[in-house]
Amino acid sequence: MNDSSYVGYMSSESSSHSLDRPTRTVTLSVNGETVEAEVEPRLKLSDFLREECGNRGVRVGCEHGVCGACTVLVDGRATKSCLTYAVQVDGASVTTVEGLAGDDGDLHPIQESFHQEHALQCGFCTSGFVMATKELLDREPDPDRETIEEGLADNICRCTGYQNIYDAVERAAAELADADYPRGED
Amino acid sequence: MSGAEPHSEAAPGEDVEADQESFVGTGLERVEDRRILTGEAEYIHDKAPEDAVHMALARSVHPHATIENVDTSAAEDHPDCLAVVTGEDLQADYNPMPCGLNEFEEWSLAVDKVRYVGEPVVAVVAPDRYAAEDLVDLVSIDYEQHEPVVDALEAREDETVIHEDVGTNVPDGETMEFGEVDEAFDEADNVLEREYSWGRISGVPLETAGVVAEYDTDDDAFDVDCNIQLHTLVDDTVYETLGYPPEKVNLEVPPDVGGSFGTKIAIHRYCVLAAVASQQLDGRPVKFVEDRIENLQGGDMHSSDREYRVRLAYDDDGTIRGVDTWFVDDFGAFPRYPVNQALKPLSVVTNAYDVEHVRYDYELVMTNKTSQTAYRGFGVPAHLHALEMAVDEMAHDLGADPVDVRQANLVQPDQMPHKIPTGNVYDSGDFPEALDRIQNIVEEREVCEGGLLDPEVVEAKREDGKYRGVSYTIHIEPGVSGSDWTDRQRTEDGALEEREREDVEELPEHFRIELQEDGSVQAYLATDTSGQGHQTLVTQLLADQLGVLPSDVEVGYLDSVTAPTEYGTAASRMAVMLSGATEGAAETLRHNCRQLAAEEAFGSALDDIVYRDGGVECQQSGERLELHELAELDSGRGQRLTRVQYDYDHPTTELPEFDEALTQKYPVYPTAAFAANAPIVEVDTKTGEVEILTFYSLRDCGTRLNPTIVDGQAHGGLAQGVGAALMEEFQYDDEGQPQAITMFEYLLPSTKNMPDIELEHSETPSPFTATGAKGTGEGGMIDGPVAIASSINAALREYDFVTNQIPMTPHRIRQRLRETDEGE
Ligand code: FES
Ligand code: FES
Repeated sequence: MNDSSYVGYMSSESSSHSLDRPTRTVTLSVNGETVEAEVEPRLKLSDFLREECGNRGVRVGCEHGVCGACTVLVDGRATKSCLTYAVQVDGASVTTVEGLAGDDGDLHPIQESFHQEHALQCGFCTSGFVMATKELLDREPDPDRETIEEGLADNICRCTGYQNIYDAVERAAAELADADYPRGED
Repeated sequence: MSGAEPHSEAAPGEDVEADQESFVGTGLERVEDRRILTGEAEYIHDKAPEDAVHMALARSVHPHATIENVDTSAAEDHPDCLAVVTGEDLQADYNPMPCGLNEFEEWSLAVDKVRYVGEPVVAVVAPDRYAAEDLVDLVSIDYEQHEPVVDALEAREDETVIHEDVGTNVPDGETMEFGEVDEAFDEADNVLEREYSWGRISGVPLETAGVVAEYDTDDDAFDVDCNIQLHTLVDDTVYETLGYPPEKVNLEVPPDVGGSFGTKIAIHRYCVLAAVASQQLDGRPVKFVEDRIENLQGGDMHSSDREYRVRLAYDDDGTIRGVDTWFVDDFGAFPRYPVNQALKPLSVVTNAYDVEHVRYDYELVMTNKTSQTAYRGFGVPAHLHALEMAVDEMAHDLGADPVDVRQANLVQPDQMPHKIPTGNVYDSGDFPEALDRIQNIVEEREVCEGGLLDPEVVEAKREDGKYRGVSYTIHIEPGVSGSDWTDRQRTEDGALEEREREDVEELPEHFRIELQEDGSVQAYLATDTSGQGHQTLVTQLLADQLGVLPSDVEVGYLDSVTAPTEYGTAASRMAVMLSGATEGAAETLRHNCRQLAAEEAFGSALDDIVYRDGGVECQQSGERLELHELAELDSGRGQRLTRVQYDYDHPTTELPEFDEALTQKYPVYPTAAFAANAPIVEVDTKTGEVEILTFYSLRDCGTRLNPTIVDGQAHGGLAQGVGAALMEEFQYDDEGQPQAITMFEYLLPSTKNMPDIELEHSETPSPFTATGAKGTGEGGMIDGPVAIASSINAALREYDFVTNQIPMTPHRIRQRLRETDEGE
């Protein structure tokens, strides 16, 4: 993440066209880095994160709030970034899947558990599930099956049939309990 | 399969096994995962060349209309507009897209007429997608509407023909007879006839279609990055449409694709349009990402939508004498490539039963709906559903337990390999034992105190209107399709009779290995992948075969120009075809390494050199060369021995058992994976809701190369089976307007609907494949819906209820219960 300021969606081409689309300035933290940008009010947070901040691990599966592939944490809460406008998160702190692994490149216990339990196939849903799991375990460190099912009910996976995802969440909960991993808002 | 060096040259008793343990057969962790979990994986949606511009499509809002006028002037006047493409532009300079039947002409943008809601009419290009969609709003299209053709059964007699030049709404169909069908029906004690319907259901992968196309002005050629499935097979749908030779249109698929399940074979329209736009823009890269609404309503990705009539001839003792199926498949507006989806059920026409007399009769019908593509199971799920519902009805009529009726008709283990009436051959399996085992498991664990089917609990629930039940069913999953039969419907009349065995041409699987200077191994697949873990499979096999560590193996992909035409990831071919190709290539490389050492280093005879543990050794002198040394030795040579390619032939090419089916272009699937299922369901007769409490499934796909991945495929397939059985459907209203255009209406199973899955296994190796593996990518979607439907029947047995429609939504259950109550 670089800290230069971003111009919104009209960036690359705007010079060659006489566009006067309205923009607004937003300042937020993305995975711990401060980002200031000029954005169109209609720019979705998902597109802002992907296109402007380079966080392409944010996936877009439906753009209408059903699939959960675009789930990120906004001030610690799992949020569908396709249903959120970038201007709405002015001043907020956003965490994407890119913000999870340690600086040494070690996978976060949730990521590692998804790998160990074969909780991903095509992987398109995975960023969203990992982030939803993060919020769930922050809130509920030792969830039972029902709590897991409830906690992940806003995310769709078309490949795995969920069984291995449940196992991954349980494994992650156990690992986190053992490891005393820092919880909550980073 | 162990990682042995099987060369006959090794002296007897000489141990050439690698010291390390075998990776095949273990659940080696997937090599694909890390990049995905960290967000680094680059899916097609993530490709963003610096100067890329974005395309959006204006689509038809009418199901059936003549295009009176297309006015793009307002869009063109907008400062954001970079390019506009219309159907007329395409007609002037390009070709129509190849269709699944010869007489049809389909343009990438509608010309003269629109035939379904969502059909693309105009393409516009702008600096970003938001702006491109603004331009779409400025395109104005005048239509003259026509009566839509919506109901497939009525369409057959409808005066309105949606392709006037073709002259009929039923462009394809055939009646095929195997055995003495009329005699069997005349002689049988009983005949039943019933109707069943299978809704418009499809794969709906989480990632939509995407493409980044770039025209090269110097070479007059195209680079098309996209997530098409089978890019080395269906690349003709792009290059022929552009009017270029194959080597000028390079299709490349990223290593990560967000699911396909068959559906993405049909995204060529988008590839063509982005390529055309890039050509108009003198080579500026043009990107298009389908949005979800486009995908659901007009993304060329619906699948089988059938009305069945099944006749069953059977004796009083429960013996099935003959099966006669007729169906109409609503193919939508254009017959796309998967017209042969209507034929695949022939490969499993009698399911696991031993029945000699079969009639198979179908009609493909054109309506004003989105066209069909392939979906997991490729037409088989609907057939098995119709057949097994009829078997349930037959058991009801006989007053028998359905599982007894099924057992009485199964193919016995001593009949294997078993040729079914249509010429396909089941390779191996003990069906009676599998069915018996799943029944015993469920009875032991669940029909007891504390179990889901504890008789007391079942009784108590009933008072509440909740009916629990289970049915034991068994299903074949035909795997590893041949390729030659797939154009049967485009083969001239009469040509089939004259065909000889030598006229059959099967496509092999292509594979390459290159030894790198550091001794690591670079492999290349000629097929694309979408979550099945092919990189892991190949890594496992090569680590074993070459005696190296998985971390020394890198697996890449060939583009459509570099790779030969080959089939790829279809019909659960890969476990078998890819492992065959990988093993063949590895064997060639081991041989070449020995030859290289003989010629360039040891100066000894080839026979005196063995390949062992990632290197070669001279048995006389004890000298040894490691892989990196071999690579170096080879680097100066003109004819490189450490770069090998291998084409693995389809298993049937060596098996005379399949000659008859191959020659007649009947579907050829040399492996028969199978499943014995027992989903325990609870039906709420008040609300019509069905809950699956636990899904027991005993699965056999021969040798399991990677059990973790195989189980993952089973879970995922069953989840799609649950969706199909209970909730998924692309419905249309009477006016031809699609009703499921968001994921709020096309419902996918979530954590809320998925039951626990209890997998049991058996392993009956295939005698027909190199590793003993059978194809198994489609299973749960093939056998899930029918198994669930049969369990619903079991739960509601006292109502004499047999489900007749997939999906069984609460509304339909209630309606059916009312009908049954009224005694139909
Ligand atoms: S992309 Fe946001 S919920 Fe589907
Ligand atoms: S792994 Fe493909 S959607 Fe979940």
